[in-house]
Amino acid sequence: MNAPERSAAFLLDDEEEKVEYQADTKVSNAGTFTFNKEDHTIANLLRMQLLRDPQVKFAGYMHPHPLVHKIHLKIQTTTSQVAPAETLSAAIEDLSNETDHLITQVTDAIDKWKRENDTGLMGM
Amino acid sequence: MPQQRFPKVEILNIAPHFIQFILSETDTSMANALRRIMIAEVPTLAIDLVEYAENSSVLNDEYIAHRLGLIPIRYTPEGSLKGGDCHAAFLPHRECVCFDRCVRCSVEFELDVNFDKVNSTRPDQERDLALTVTSRNLTSNNMLVAPAHFLNEEEQDESHDEGISIVKLGPGQHLKLKAIARMGISKEHAKWCPVAVATYRFWPIITINQEACNMLTLEQKQELVDACPDRILELDEITGNLVAVENAYEMATFTEDLKVAQNAMKKRPEDDDFVRVVQSTDRFVFSVESTGAMDAEEILMSALRVLKDRLNYLAAEVEKLKD
Repeated sequence: MNAPERSAAFLLDDEEEKVEYQADTKVSNAGTFTFNKEDHTIANLLRMQLLRDPQVKFAGYMHPHPLVHKIHLKIQTTTSQVAPAETLSAAIEDLSNETDHLITQVTDAIDKWKRENDTGLMGM
Repeated sequence: MPQQRFPKVEILNIAPHFIQFILSETDTSMANALRRIMIAEVPTLAIDLVEYAENSSVLNDEYIAHRLGLIPIRYTPEGSLKGGDCHAAFLPHRECVCFDRCVRCSVEFELDVNFDKVNSTRPDQERDLALTVTSRNLTSNNMLVAPAHFLNEEEQDESHDEGISIVKLGPGQHLKLKAIARMGISKEHAKWCPVAVATYRFWPIITINQEACNMLTLEQKQELVDACPDRILELDEITGNLVAVENAYEMATFTEDLKVAQNAMKKRPEDDDFVRVVQSTDRFVFSVESTGAMDAEEILMSALRVLKDRLNYLAAEVEKLKD
Protein backbone atom coordinates (compact mmCIF):
# COMPACT_ATOMS: atom_id res chain seq x y z
CA MET A 1 0.00 0.00 0.00
CA ASN A 2 2.81 2.39 0.87
CA ALA A 3 5.39 0.75 -1.33
CA PRO A 4 6.89 3.20 -3.85
CA GLU A 5 7.21 2.21 -7.49
CA ARG A 6 10.46 0.36 -8.10
CA SER A 7 11.08 2.65 -11.05
CA ALA A 8 11.28 5.58 -8.62
CA ALA A 9 14.77 4.34 -7.81
CA PHE A 10 16.12 5.49 -11.15
CA LEU A 11 13.52 7.65 -12.91
CA LEU A 12 13.44 11.34 -12.04
CA ASP A 13 10.22 12.64 -10.53
CA ASP A 14 8.33 15.53 -12.10
CA GLU A 15 10.09 18.82 -11.49
CA GLU A 16 13.15 17.05 -10.16
CA GLU A 17 16.56 17.97 -11.52
CA LYS A 18 19.30 15.40 -11.83
CA VAL A 19 21.96 17.51 -10.12
CA GLU A 20 21.59 20.28 -7.57
CA TYR A 21 24.27 22.39 -5.92
CA GLN A 22 24.45 24.03 -2.56
CA ALA A 23 27.51 26.15 -1.75
CA ASP A 24 28.81 25.63 1.77
CA THR A 25 28.26 28.69 3.94
CA LYS A 26 30.75 27.86 6.66
CA VAL A 27 33.68 26.54 4.65
CA SER A 28 35.38 28.41 1.85
CA ASN A 29 35.68 26.91 -1.66
CA ALA A 30 33.31 24.08 -0.79
CA GLY A 31 29.90 22.90 -1.89
CA THR A 32 27.63 19.90 -1.94
CA PHE A 33 26.20 18.38 -5.11
CA THR A 34 23.01 16.37 -4.81
CA PHE A 35 22.51 13.70 -7.47
CA ASN A 36 18.91 12.56 -7.65
CA LYS A 37 18.08 8.95 -8.45
CA GLU A 38 21.68 7.79 -8.27
CA ASP A 39 23.47 5.32 -6.05
CA HIS A 40 26.90 4.10 -4.99
CA THR A 41 27.73 2.98 -8.50
CA ILE A 42 28.43 6.44 -9.82
CA ALA A 43 29.01 8.22 -6.49
CA ASN A 44 31.99 6.10 -5.46
CA LEU A 45 33.43 6.33 -8.94
CA LEU A 46 33.24 10.15 -8.90
CA ARG A 47 34.57 10.43 -5.37
CA MET A 48 37.63 8.26 -6.06
CA GLN A 49 38.38 10.22 -9.20
CA LEU A 50 38.05 13.55 -7.39
CA LEU A 51 40.48 12.41 -4.72
CA ARG A 52 43.10 12.00 -7.41
CA ASP A 53 42.82 15.65 -8.41
CA PRO A 54 45.51 17.76 -6.65
CA GLN A 55 43.21 20.79 -6.68
CA VAL A 56 40.66 18.97 -4.55
CA LYS A 57 41.18 19.35 -0.82
CA PHE A 58 38.18 17.31 0.29
CA ALA A 59 35.85 14.93 -1.53
CA GLY A 60 33.31 12.66 0.11
CA TYR A 61 29.88 11.23 -0.60
CA MET A 62 26.88 10.16 1.45
CA HIS A 63 23.83 8.08 0.73
CA PRO A 64 21.72 9.45 3.60
CA HIS A 65 18.96 6.85 3.54
CA PRO A 66 18.66 3.62 1.58
CA LEU A 67 15.01 4.29 0.77
CA VAL A 68 15.62 7.80 -0.53
CA HIS A 69 17.47 7.68 -3.81
CA LYS A 70 19.85 10.59 -3.70
CA ILE A 71 23.56 11.07 -3.21
CA HIS A 72 25.34 14.00 -1.61
CA LEU A 73 28.81 14.65 -2.93
CA LYS A 74 30.80 17.29 -1.03
CA ILE A 75 33.81 18.87 -2.71
CA GLN A 76 36.24 21.42 -1.31
CA THR A 77 38.93 22.86 -3.56
CA THR A 78 42.35 24.13 -2.54
CA THR A 79 41.95 27.64 -3.95
CA SER A 80 39.09 30.00 -4.68
CA GLN A 81 40.23 30.16 -8.32
CA VAL A 82 38.86 26.69 -8.92
CA ALA A 83 35.17 26.10 -8.37
CA PRO A 84 34.00 22.68 -7.12
CA ALA A 85 31.90 22.33 -10.26
CA GLU A 86 35.05 22.65 -12.37
CA THR A 87 36.77 19.79 -10.59
CA LEU A 88 33.62 17.71 -10.87
CA SER A 89 33.41 18.31 -14.62
CA ALA A 90 37.07 17.40 -14.99
CA ALA A 91 36.54 14.21 -12.99
CA ILE A 92 33.54 13.19 -15.09
CA GLU A 93 35.48 13.88 -18.27
CA ASP A 94 38.44 11.80 -17.10
CA LEU A 95 36.12 8.93 -16.22
CA SER A 96 34.35 9.22 -19.54
CA ASN A 97 37.68 9.03 -21.38
CA GLU A 98 38.71 6.10 -19.23
CA THR A 99 35.47 4.31 -20.13
CA ASP A 100 36.06 4.96 -23.83
CA HIS A 101 39.55 3.57 -23.45
CA LEU A 102 38.12 0.52 -21.69
CA ILE A 103 35.63 -0.04 -24.49
CA THR A 104 38.37 -0.17 -27.11
CA GLN A 105 40.53 -2.33 -24.84
CA VAL A 106 37.73 -4.82 -24.30
CA THR A 107 36.82 -4.98 -27.99
CA ASP A 108 40.46 -5.52 -28.94
CA ALA A 109 40.97 -8.10 -26.20
CA ILE A 110 37.88 -10.05 -27.31
CA ASP A 111 38.97 -9.98 -30.97
CA LYS A 112 42.46 -11.08 -29.98
CA TRP A 113 41.14 -13.96 -27.89
CA LYS A 114 38.81 -15.07 -30.67
CA ARG A 115 41.63 -15.09 -33.19
CA GLU A 116 43.92 -17.03 -30.91
CA ASN A 117 41.25 -19.50 -29.86
CA ASP A 118 39.44 -19.96 -33.13
CA THR A 119 35.90 -20.88 -32.15
CA GLY A 120 34.25 -20.62 -35.55
CA LEU A 121 31.09 -22.24 -34.22
CA MET A 122 29.48 -19.29 -32.53
CA GLY A 123 29.29 -17.02 -35.52
CA MET A 124 30.02 -13.31 -35.48
CA MET B 1 43.41 15.28 -18.76
CA PRO B 2 46.12 14.64 -16.19
CA GLN B 3 44.26 12.35 -13.82
CA GLN B 4 42.99 9.92 -16.40
CA ARG B 5 43.87 6.27 -16.02
CA PHE B 6 44.44 3.81 -18.84
CA PRO B 7 43.09 0.45 -17.79
CA LYS B 8 44.13 -2.79 -19.45
CA VAL B 9 41.97 -5.80 -20.18
CA GLU B 10 43.10 -9.36 -20.75
CA ILE B 11 40.58 -12.04 -21.57
CA LEU B 12 41.08 -15.40 -19.87
CA ASN B 13 38.10 -17.30 -21.24
CA ILE B 14 35.03 -16.64 -23.34
CA ALA B 15 32.08 -18.98 -23.76
CA PRO B 16 28.64 -17.88 -24.98
CA HIS B 17 27.32 -17.80 -21.44
CA PHE B 18 30.52 -17.00 -19.52
CA ILE B 19 33.41 -14.59 -19.66
CA GLN B 20 36.44 -14.33 -17.42
CA PHE B 21 38.89 -11.48 -17.77
CA ILE B 22 41.52 -9.48 -15.93
CA LEU B 23 41.00 -5.77 -15.47
CA SER B 24 44.10 -3.88 -14.40
CA GLU B 25 45.55 -0.40 -13.90
CA THR B 26 42.34 0.97 -12.52
CA ASP B 27 40.94 0.86 -9.03
CA THR B 28 38.15 -0.78 -7.09
CA SER B 29 35.66 2.03 -7.76
CA MET B 30 35.73 1.29 -11.49
CA ALA B 31 35.66 -2.47 -10.97
CA ASN B 32 32.76 -2.18 -8.56
CA ALA B 33 30.88 0.26 -10.80
CA LEU B 34 31.18 -2.21 -13.67
CA ARG B 35 30.00 -5.06 -11.50
CA ARG B 36 27.03 -3.11 -10.16
CA ILE B 37 26.00 -2.01 -13.65
CA MET B 38 26.24 -5.55 -15.02
CA ILE B 39 23.96 -6.75 -12.25
CA ALA B 40 21.48 -3.88 -12.03
CA GLU B 41 21.45 -1.60 -15.05
CA VAL B 42 21.98 -3.54 -18.27
CA PRO B 43 18.67 -3.49 -20.18
CA THR B 44 17.14 -6.79 -21.23
CA LEU B 45 13.76 -8.09 -22.34
CA ALA B 46 11.38 -9.91 -20.03
CA ILE B 47 7.66 -10.65 -19.99
CA ASP B 48 5.92 -7.84 -18.15
CA LEU B 49 2.22 -8.18 -18.89
CA VAL B 50 0.08 -11.28 -19.34
CA GLU B 51 -3.46 -11.38 -20.74
CA TYR B 52 -5.38 -14.58 -20.13
CA ALA B 53 -8.01 -16.04 -22.41
CA GLU B 54 -8.16 -19.36 -20.65
CA ASN B 55 -6.52 -20.83 -17.54
CA SER B 56 -7.90 -24.03 -16.10
CA SER B 57 -4.53 -25.29 -14.90
CA VAL B 58 -3.66 -25.98 -11.28
CA LEU B 59 -1.66 -22.73 -10.94
CA ASN B 60 -3.44 -19.41 -10.71
CA ASP B 61 -2.96 -16.52 -13.14
CA GLU B 62 -0.45 -14.45 -11.22
CA TYR B 63 1.65 -17.49 -10.35
CA ILE B 64 1.97 -18.35 -14.02
CA ALA B 65 2.63 -14.69 -14.88
CA HIS B 66 5.44 -14.63 -12.31
CA ARG B 67 7.02 -17.72 -13.85
CA LEU B 68 6.68 -16.31 -17.35
CA GLY B 69 8.44 -13.12 -16.24
CA LEU B 70 11.47 -15.05 -15.05
CA ILE B 71 12.03 -16.76 -18.40
CA PRO B 72 15.14 -15.23 -20.04
CA ILE B 73 14.21 -13.68 -23.39
CA ARG B 74 16.90 -13.62 -26.02
CA TYR B 75 17.24 -10.99 -28.73
CA THR B 76 19.43 -12.01 -31.66
CA PRO B 77 20.19 -9.18 -34.08
CA GLU B 78 19.94 -9.81 -37.84
CA GLY B 79 22.77 -11.86 -39.23
CA SER B 80 24.18 -12.88 -35.87
CA LEU B 81 23.77 -15.93 -33.68
CA LYS B 82 24.67 -14.18 -30.46
CA GLY B 83 22.29 -13.07 -27.77
CA GLY B 84 22.74 -9.36 -28.29
CA ASP B 85 22.11 -6.03 -26.68
CA CYS B 86 18.48 -5.06 -27.13
CA HIS B 87 18.72 -1.41 -26.15
CA ALA B 88 19.17 -0.21 -29.74
CA ALA B 89 16.33 -2.32 -31.12
CA PHE B 90 13.67 -1.39 -28.61
CA LEU B 91 12.44 1.71 -26.81
CA PRO B 92 11.68 1.66 -23.10
CA HIS B 93 7.90 1.42 -23.06
CA ARG B 94 7.57 4.55 -20.91
CA GLU B 95 9.28 6.58 -23.61
CA CYS B 96 7.44 5.09 -26.55
CA VAL B 97 4.93 7.41 -28.22
CA CYS B 98 2.47 4.65 -29.00
CA PHE B 99 -0.86 4.50 -27.22
CA ASP B 100 -0.55 1.20 -25.38
CA ARG B 101 2.12 -0.95 -26.98
CA CYS B 102 3.69 -1.44 -30.39
CA VAL B 103 6.42 -3.43 -32.10
CA ARG B 104 8.89 -0.70 -31.29
CA CYS B 105 8.64 -1.08 -27.54
CA SER B 106 7.37 -4.60 -26.92
CA VAL B 107 7.27 -8.18 -28.13
CA GLU B 108 4.12 -10.29 -27.98
CA PHE B 109 4.20 -13.97 -27.19
CA GLU B 110 1.28 -16.32 -27.56
CA LEU B 111 0.77 -19.55 -25.74
CA ASP B 112 -2.11 -21.91 -26.41
CA VAL B 113 -1.93 -25.43 -25.02
CA ASN B 114 -5.02 -27.58 -24.69
CA PHE B 115 -4.36 -30.93 -23.03
CA ASP B 116 -7.18 -32.72 -24.81
CA LYS B 117 -6.09 -31.53 -28.24
CA VAL B 118 -2.46 -32.46 -27.66
CA ASN B 119 -3.30 -35.77 -26.01
CA SER B 120 -4.73 -37.31 -29.14
CA THR B 121 -1.49 -36.72 -31.02
CA ARG B 122 0.82 -38.18 -28.39
CA PRO B 123 2.38 -41.64 -28.64
CA ASP B 124 0.62 -44.38 -26.67
CA GLN B 125 3.05 -44.68 -23.77
CA GLU B 126 2.76 -40.96 -23.03
CA ARG B 127 -0.97 -40.63 -23.37
CA ASP B 128 -2.89 -39.27 -20.39
CA LEU B 129 0.30 -38.38 -18.52
CA ALA B 130 0.72 -34.80 -17.30
CA LEU B 131 1.66 -32.48 -20.12
CA THR B 132 4.36 -29.91 -19.38
CA VAL B 133 3.83 -26.49 -20.88
CA THR B 134 7.29 -25.09 -21.51
CA SER B 135 8.93 -21.98 -22.89
CA ARG B 136 9.03 -23.75 -26.25
CA ASN B 137 5.27 -23.28 -26.47
CA LEU B 138 5.71 -19.51 -26.54
CA THR B 139 5.47 -18.14 -30.09
CA SER B 140 6.82 -14.69 -30.70
CA ASN B 141 5.59 -11.99 -33.07
CA ASN B 142 9.16 -10.80 -33.57
CA MET B 143 11.46 -13.19 -35.41
CA LEU B 144 14.53 -11.92 -33.65
CA VAL B 145 13.16 -12.45 -30.15
CA ALA B 146 12.56 -15.80 -28.48
CA PRO B 147 12.92 -17.39 -25.05
CA ALA B 148 16.51 -18.39 -24.38
CA HIS B 149 17.19 -22.02 -24.96
CA PHE B 150 20.36 -23.47 -26.18
CA LEU B 151 23.35 -21.82 -27.62
CA ASN B 152 23.47 -23.23 -31.13
CA GLU B 153 21.72 -25.67 -33.40
CA GLU B 154 24.03 -28.58 -32.57
CA GLU B 155 23.33 -28.58 -28.87
CA GLN B 156 19.62 -28.12 -29.41
CA ASP B 157 19.27 -31.21 -31.55
CA GLU B 158 21.44 -33.32 -29.30
CA SER B 159 19.99 -32.33 -25.99
CA HIS B 160 16.25 -32.85 -26.61
CA ASP B 161 15.74 -29.72 -24.58
CA GLU B 162 12.07 -29.24 -23.85
CA GLY B 163 12.48 -25.68 -22.62
CA ILE B 164 11.82 -24.09 -19.27
CA SER B 165 8.76 -25.68 -17.72
CA ILE B 166 5.94 -23.28 -16.88
CA VAL B 167 3.06 -25.43 -15.69
CA LYS B 168 1.84 -29.02 -16.05
CA LEU B 169 -1.59 -29.71 -17.50
CA GLY B 170 -3.90 -32.65 -16.95
CA PRO B 171 -7.00 -33.87 -18.78
CA GLY B 172 -9.51 -31.15 -19.51
CA GLN B 173 -7.10 -28.33 -18.72
CA HIS B 174 -6.40 -25.53 -21.12
CA LEU B 175 -3.97 -22.62 -20.94
CA LYS B 176 -4.29 -19.78 -23.39
CA LEU B 177 -2.59 -16.46 -22.90
CA LYS B 178 -0.85 -13.55 -24.52
CA ALA B 179 2.37 -12.34 -22.89
CA ILE B 180 3.94 -8.99 -23.61
CA ALA B 181 7.68 -8.60 -23.09
CA ARG B 182 9.24 -5.21 -22.50
CA MET B 183 12.70 -3.83 -22.02
CA GLY B 184 13.75 -2.97 -18.49
CA ILE B 185 16.56 -3.04 -15.97
CA SER B 186 17.16 -5.21 -12.95
CA LYS B 187 16.71 -2.26 -10.58
CA GLU B 188 13.03 -2.45 -11.35
CA HIS B 189 12.68 -6.21 -11.05
CA ALA B 190 15.18 -9.06 -10.88
CA LYS B 191 13.62 -10.73 -13.92
CA TRP B 192 15.48 -8.23 -16.07
CA CYS B 193 18.86 -9.24 -14.67
CA PRO B 194 21.10 -10.49 -17.50
CA VAL B 195 23.63 -12.20 -15.24
CA ALA B 196 23.49 -15.16 -12.94
CA VAL B 197 26.77 -14.09 -11.37
CA ALA B 198 28.96 -11.05 -11.95
CA THR B 199 31.83 -10.95 -9.56
CA TYR B 200 35.45 -9.96 -9.24
CA ARG B 201 38.32 -11.08 -7.06
CA PHE B 202 41.57 -9.40 -6.23
CA TRP B 203 44.74 -10.56 -7.90
CA PRO B 204 47.08 -12.08 -5.31
CA ILE B 205 50.56 -10.59 -5.07
CA ILE B 206 52.77 -13.39 -3.76
CA THR B 207 56.26 -12.35 -2.70
CA ILE B 208 58.62 -15.10 -1.61
CA ASN B 209 61.72 -14.12 0.29
CA GLN B 210 64.13 -16.71 -1.13
CA GLU B 211 66.98 -15.69 1.21
CA ALA B 212 64.87 -16.35 4.26
CA CYS B 213 63.45 -19.50 2.67
CA ASN B 214 66.91 -20.92 2.14
CA MET B 215 67.24 -21.16 5.88
CA LEU B 216 64.24 -23.49 6.05
CA THR B 217 64.49 -27.23 5.74
CA LEU B 218 62.61 -29.10 3.03
CA GLU B 219 60.12 -30.38 5.57
CA GLN B 220 59.44 -26.87 6.79
CA LYS B 221 58.88 -25.69 3.24
CA GLN B 222 56.49 -28.57 2.65
CA GLU B 223 54.72 -27.55 5.84
CA LEU B 224 54.20 -24.09 4.43
CA VAL B 225 52.91 -25.55 1.18
CA ASP B 226 50.41 -27.66 3.09
CA ALA B 227 49.42 -24.87 5.48
CA CYS B 228 47.55 -22.97 2.80
CA PRO B 229 44.08 -24.44 2.13
CA ASP B 230 44.06 -22.84 -1.32
CA ARG B 231 47.38 -24.49 -2.17
CA ILE B 232 48.83 -21.43 -3.84
CA LEU B 233 52.39 -22.53 -3.11
CA GLU B 234 54.38 -25.47 -4.35
CA LEU B 235 57.90 -26.83 -4.11
CA ASP B 236 59.95 -26.55 -7.29
CA GLU B 237 61.05 -30.11 -8.13
CA ILE B 238 64.56 -29.28 -9.24
CA THR B 239 65.70 -26.53 -6.92
CA GLY B 240 63.52 -27.32 -3.93
CA ASN B 241 62.53 -23.66 -3.66
CA LEU B 242 59.15 -22.38 -2.68
CA VAL B 243 57.32 -21.02 -5.68
CA ALA B 244 53.83 -19.74 -6.33
CA VAL B 245 51.55 -21.98 -8.33
CA GLU B 246 50.87 -20.79 -11.87
CA ASN B 247 47.14 -20.33 -11.53
CA ALA B 248 47.31 -18.95 -7.98
CA TYR B 249 44.90 -16.20 -8.95
CA GLU B 250 42.11 -18.73 -9.42
CA MET B 251 42.47 -20.25 -6.00
CA ALA B 252 43.67 -17.52 -3.66
CA THR B 253 41.16 -16.59 -1.01
CA PHE B 254 43.57 -14.65 1.21
CA THR B 255 43.22 -16.71 4.37
CA GLU B 256 45.53 -16.11 7.31
CA ASP B 257 46.75 -19.73 7.45
CA LEU B 258 50.11 -18.99 5.85
CA LYS B 259 50.72 -16.14 8.25
CA VAL B 260 49.94 -18.29 11.26
CA ALA B 261 52.13 -21.14 10.01
CA GLN B 262 55.01 -18.76 9.40
CA ASN B 263 54.79 -17.14 12.81
CA ALA B 264 55.22 -20.56 14.34
CA MET B 265 58.31 -21.16 12.20
CA LYS B 266 60.06 -17.87 12.73
CA LYS B 267 62.92 -17.71 15.21
CA ARG B 268 61.89 -14.24 16.34
CA PRO B 269 58.53 -12.56 15.69
CA GLU B 270 60.15 -9.50 14.05
CA ASP B 271 61.89 -11.58 11.38
CA ASP B 272 60.90 -11.08 7.78
CA ASP B 273 58.14 -13.19 6.36
CA PHE B 274 59.05 -16.08 4.14
CA VAL B 275 55.96 -15.66 2.00
CA ARG B 276 53.62 -12.71 1.78
CA VAL B 277 50.26 -12.86 0.06
CA VAL B 278 48.60 -9.51 -0.46
CA GLN B 279 45.51 -8.41 -2.40
CA SER B 280 46.34 -6.21 -5.34
CA THR B 281 44.63 -2.81 -5.29
CA ASP B 282 44.57 -2.38 -9.03
CA ARG B 283 44.23 -5.80 -10.64
CA PHE B 284 40.96 -7.74 -10.66
CA VAL B 285 39.78 -11.05 -12.04
CA PHE B 286 36.19 -10.78 -13.24
CA SER B 287 33.87 -13.74 -13.76
CA VAL B 288 30.56 -13.04 -15.46
CA GLU B 289 27.99 -15.76 -16.07
CA SER B 290 24.92 -14.98 -18.15
CA THR B 291 21.39 -16.36 -17.74
CA GLY B 292 21.12 -16.97 -21.47
CA ALA B 293 19.32 -13.77 -22.47
CA MET B 294 22.54 -12.15 -23.66
CA ASP B 295 26.00 -13.44 -24.40
CA ALA B 296 28.46 -12.66 -21.62
CA GLU B 297 30.67 -10.45 -23.78
CA GLU B 298 27.59 -8.50 -24.87
CA ILE B 299 26.70 -7.91 -21.23
CA LEU B 300 30.16 -6.47 -20.62
CA MET B 301 29.95 -4.20 -23.66
CA SER B 302 26.46 -3.10 -22.70
CA ALA B 303 27.59 -2.30 -19.15
CA LEU B 304 30.41 -0.14 -20.48
CA ARG B 305 27.99 1.63 -22.80
CA VAL B 306 25.56 2.26 -19.91
CA LEU B 307 28.40 3.69 -17.83
CA LYS B 308 29.54 5.93 -20.66
CA ASP B 309 26.01 7.22 -21.33
CA ARG B 310 25.46 7.87 -17.63
CA LEU B 311 28.70 9.85 -17.36
CA ASN B 312 27.84 11.89 -20.46
CA TYR B 313 24.40 12.64 -19.06
CA LEU B 314 25.88 13.78 -15.75
CA ALA B 315 28.46 15.90 -17.54
CA ALA B 316 25.69 17.73 -19.40
CA GLU B 317 23.69 18.22 -16.21
CA VAL B 318 26.68 19.60 -14.32
CA GLU B 319 27.34 22.00 -17.21
CA LYS B 320 23.81 23.33 -16.77
CA LEU B 321 24.59 24.12 -13.14
CA LYS B 322 27.59 26.25 -13.97
CA ASP B 323 25.54 29.20 -15.24
